[in-house]
Amino acid sequence: MNLLKALFFLIPLLLLFGCYDRIELEQQSYVMAIGIDTTDQENQYLFTFEIANPEVGSATAQGGEGEPPAEIVSVIGTDILTATYTANSVVAKKITLDHTKIIVASEEIARSDKFLSVIQSASRSPQIRRAVELVVSKEPAEDFIRNNEPTMEKRPHKFYNFMLSRAAQTGIIPQATLHRFFQITEGDADVFLAVYATTEQSKEKERGYEDNYIAGEIPQIGGSPTQFMGSAVFKEGKMIDILNGEETRFAHILDKTHDMDTFLATIPDPLQPEYRVSYNYAQKNKPQINIDYQKGKTAKIKVDVEYQVEIIGIQSLINYSQIQKYRKILKENITNRLEEKAKQLVKKSQEQYSTDPFYWSLYVRKHFKDVPSYEEADWNKNIYPNAEVEITFKLDKLEFGKMFDDSNVSEVRD
Amino acid sequence: MARFIAEREKHNQQEQTVHTSLQPNLEEIKKLFSYGVNKDFSIRTFNLFSNQKKACLCYYSSIVNGKTINEHIMEPLLQNKGESISNIVSIENIEKVNSFSDIIENINSGKAILFIDQSETAYAMDVADFQHRYISKSENESVIKGPQDAFTESLNSNISLIRKQLHNHQLINEGIQLGERSKNEVNILYIKDIVNDDILNQVKNKLNQIKVDNVRNIEILEQYIEDRPYSIIPSVLYTEKPDKATSYLEDGFIVLLMETSSACLIVPVTFWSFFHSPEDRYLRFFYGNFSRSIRLICFLLTTLISATYVAVSNFHSEMIPPDLLLAITASRERVPFPLIVEVLMMEVAFELIREAGVRIPNPLGPTIGIVGALILGQAAVEANIISPIIVIVAAVSGLSSFAIADINMNFTVRLMRFIFILSAGMFGMLSLTGAFILFFMYAASLKSYGVPFFSPMSPHFLSSKDTVFRKSVKKELFRPDYLKPKDLQKKQKKG
Repeated sequence: MNLLKALFFLIPLLLLFGCYDRIELEQQSYVMAIGIDTTDQENQYLFTFEIANPEVGSATAQGGEGEPPAEIVSVIGTDILTATYTANSVVAKKITLDHTKIIVASEEIARSDKFLSVIQSASRSPQIRRAVELVVSKEPAEDFIRNNEPTMEKRPHKFYNFMLSRAAQTGIIPQATLHRFFQITEGDADVFLAVYATTEQSKEKERGYEDNYIAGEIPQIGGSPTQFMGSAVFKEGKMIDILNGEETRFAHILDKTHDMDTFLATIPDPLQPEYRVSYNYAQKNKPQINIDYQKGKTAKIKVDVEYQVEIIGIQSLINYSQIQKYRKILKENITNRLEEKAKQLVKKSQEQYSTDPFYWSLYVRKHFKDVPSYEEADWNKNIYPNAEVEITFKLDKLEFGKMFDDSNVSEVRD
Repeated sequence: MARFIAEREKHNQQEQTVHTSLQPNLEEIKKLFSYGVNKDFSIRTFNLFSNQKKACLCYYSSIVNGKTINEHIMEPLLQNKGESISNIVSIENIEKVNSFSDIIENINSGKAILFIDQSETAYAMDVADFQHRYISKSENESVIKGPQDAFTESLNSNISLIRKQLHNHQLINEGIQLGERSKNEVNILYIKDIVNDDILNQVKNKLNQIKVDNVRNIEILEQYIEDRPYSIIPSVLYTEKPDKATSYLEDGFIVLLMETSSACLIVPVTFWSFFHSPEDRYLRFFYGNFSRSIRLICFLLTTLISATYVAVSNFHSEMIPPDLLLAITASRERVPFPLIVEVLMMEVAFELIREAGVRIPNPLGPTIGIVGALILGQAAVEANIISPIIVIVAAVSGLSSFAIADINMNFTVRLMRFIFILSAGMFGMLSLTGAFILFFMYAASLKSYGVPFFSPMSPHFLSSKDTVFRKSVKKELFRPDYLKPKDLQKKQKKG
């Protein structure tokens, strides 16, 4: 009898609630990139959705040839989610944002006050992952998404995935997840670095070195027109500046919360400055950051970076590896240059931004007993801009690759 | 009422004792065994050489050994002198019987009955020779390393197979008669100085409580002695391997054998008895445990992979990596059915092939392979009936199910698979987890002869810790304590 009663309640329960939010995979459209642009209307934005075409690039699909790898739809709306429903007037399936890889904001909207209010809705919806990366494009985001035509990685999510992870490993762009954006913006102390990218070539920089560019400046022949280089600086949810690739790398070096792989770079040859020496910079340990803070006094920030260098190429063919004197000069030169560059960036941030792109406010918080006292001391107006920053680079290991000697030019050309 | 009286009359007849003179005995026997109609019932009348009395021998010619009757019964009786019958006849086993009910039972179990004129006792002589298959290789529980022989449909051979491995005078083989009309014997094997008497008595009680006309074989007996006939989880272990049975005997379990089955039953059981294969112990420590870990994965895969696929793709598409997601989406775009229907179709198709494969006559065997490949393979995909990924899911789930060698547990897992798929189709991972937890709770609540299903893991008991993984053979010190054996310690520690 009890069983009968239970069934009496259970069966309607299953019939009424069963399959409540069940949806088949093919009934959904998967957005891989979202673009945000301004429009003529106030508080109305242009949202661009890049929807992956499942049939392109999958071996199982019969047909689908000649279709583009992605469908790009732009609609006007107030926030991302409502715009997806508007976009359904064009797109046949339910638009799902679960698999979005990047949110592209045009530089125009990023620099406006409205940016925070429009991106806010992304944090509210569970559909958009916190790991979505924030990209700022020089041109309107719609153009960026439409122009972005990778030649090899046809599937859009593949391209964004590989591009962002590899470029972040080499340090030329930051890891700029939405989570970090909200974390830093709401922390209201440091600046947030977003990825800077463009598909439009600007005037090429005349004298640039490997990382001394921002996106659009890199001389390039062939390949896809999209360039990811440098970072957009967001202070209090608003873009204020652009860092080039080199500065972004230093922001990585000095920031404990970033993971960076090794990178290759060059310095002018210390003995023959017209040539350059290329080296592989590796950092096995995170930097040591100590902030000495006492109320009413100037804060002292001491940063120790331990790094390793492997020399890749010496254009001048000077025998740095065997002659101890030269080796010492090279060591000092690299260290000095790194320190100098780092100091430049710190100085720029202190003077221009009055706060830091290194998330250093984390290490000063322990000096305060509660949040109000920390807020009162004011990291970005008071502590950091006036702080004495001491950065030391320590060369842990210098290697010269698998071959010590370069070819002897005079012997080769006799 | 008439029927009842008739039955009572029959009953009285059987209680009847043997008459003094031969003629009424003969008539009684002829009536009882429908002599003349029953073609293989033989009666041989002759005069004894010793005292020249008339005598008669009755037996079923189909279940006795004719040569033995000639050499050891007829010849001595016709040629030799002697005081009593037991001194004349050279047969191994001779017994005196007085009542007709005993006579019937003896004739049925393959004995020859000798009536002698002017004697109130008849003699039952064991000349039984039931036909059976010779001992062959185990086909359903095959191993690579380890003994290959399997039980056969002969009780004596089966006991001999066990005694061959266990030279122990404490190994007891006790018989219990079962059945009202056809009396069949169930043999209970146990090691007397290890087995727990409570469990043994429970088993005996259960056997004695069976009041049916006939228990033909072990497979039917299994259903009479199990604790929960409607449970999805088995509570008796069925095996055809004598080495497996022996290893359980050594641990204090009880083995049941019958004349007519090429397998034995082992009670009580735990989950681990279904999970383990005898080969796990024959393989070296790492190899055996490796195969155990594979089997555990198979266990989970076969129960859950289809259900998880349904849950994830219907409710949690954000969990699928984008490449796979797009691949599944692309392959499903032209499939007309919902995903859960696709999965159920493939699972049913697999079960279909499996069932047909067992029933199909041997000469037609290869057909199954061809047809099976069509249903489960490329043809079905190309016809847009299913998507290719389902083929992989169904194949993995089907293949893994073969790793569970025990046929009972195999059915459990295969049936649960469908329940899990349906529950996953209801609320996704939420209801799948719920269903799995309920199933797990139910399994943990089971007991077989008072032994919890997941012991010795939970609840914990002292044992050799042979559960998911086993210890090295040298470190197995105890018998399972959940059986409360008389001798817990397997090996005496040195020193």
